[in-house]
Amino acid sequence: MLIGTIPFGFVAGVAAVGSGMTPLEGIALSVLSFSGIAQLVACQLVAVQSPVLLTIAAAAVVSLRFLMYSAALAPHLAHLDRKWRVLLSYLMTDQSFAMAVRRFSEPGDVRHRHWHFLGSALTLYLSWQLAVILGVLAGAQVPASWSLDFAVVLCFIALLVPAVRTRADLGAAIVAGAVALAAAGMPYRMSLVVASIAGIVAGMGIESARNVEYRPRRG
Amino acid sequence: MSHWLVIVGVALVTFGLRAAFIVFADPHRFPHLFRRALTFVPPAVLAAIVAPGLLAPAGAIDPGFANPRWIAGIVAIAFAIRLRTPLAAIVAGMAALWLLQWGLPRVA
Repeated sequence: MLIGTIPFGFVAGVAAVGSGMTPLEGIALSVLSFSGIAQLVACQLVAVQSPVLLTIAAAAVVSLRFLMYSAALAPHLAHLDRKWRVLLSYLMTDQSFAMAVRRFSEPGDVRHRHWHFLGSALTLYLSWQLAVILGVLAGAQVPASWSLDFAVVLCFIALLVPAVRTRADLGAAIVAGAVALAAAGMPYRMSLVVASIAGIVAGMGIESARNVEYRPRRG
Repeated sequence: MSHWLVIVGVALVTFGLRAAFIVFADPHRFPHLFRRALTFVPPAVLAAIVAPGLLAPAGAIDPGFANPRWIAGIVAIAFAIRLRTPLAAIVAGMAALWLLQWGLPRVA
């Protein structure tokens, strides 16, 4: 995952200074929030001088997936003390979640798994921050023709494909993608919010319909 | 000043959402409907980010051959499905994009 993380972090750093933030502000945003997509969305909205609350709300919507990751990991981390749980929450990302889910579902000793989680998450954290700092320093010197920003989309494809496991997941993804395109003209990246909600509703609808279909008849 | 408000606000919401169930609350105390909705958040949100990145990179929908991103995206999706490793999607997608934007125009 590191191969994708480094250009992604670099792009996030370039975007921060491109939005009008100072290098220090760009690095602070990254160190404190450690979420590429939240950072990118925040930078896009800062660049067009959106209201502060709206910017924070947009970052919250794209971060809603953390809520699901948190719910999925909570049972595996419940035995740890509060300091550990705060630390691992702060370091949790799409990538470390994906790695943790794989590891936690393997049989074997559960006592040391949080150390593995910490190790992979810290490695990602340090590479990410380094890449962001390089991006902040390089700023606008990176030629646009390298299309490095496409690495961001590719990181999300790499996460999206394994997240689609059922037909309902696929339906949620297709509806969300289509609505995001149809609503692309909405201001302040509202299309992302509308599309995400449409996708979630579609996924739940498909799941319910299939459950009804396969329910055995009584009598 | 408003930059710092954004920075602190984004930091608080990202941490709050990550810590919600690991630190603060038991997910089983929330309604079943809510937990069902949560399982669809990753495919929905990720697709809502990916689709415009491939088909509307400059803001307007562009499914033509002048926009190599959706083609490179299909290559990346195919590699991600076949090889099941995130690296494959990223390397294949980036290689496809560079090939399409630099390689093909020179050949043609």
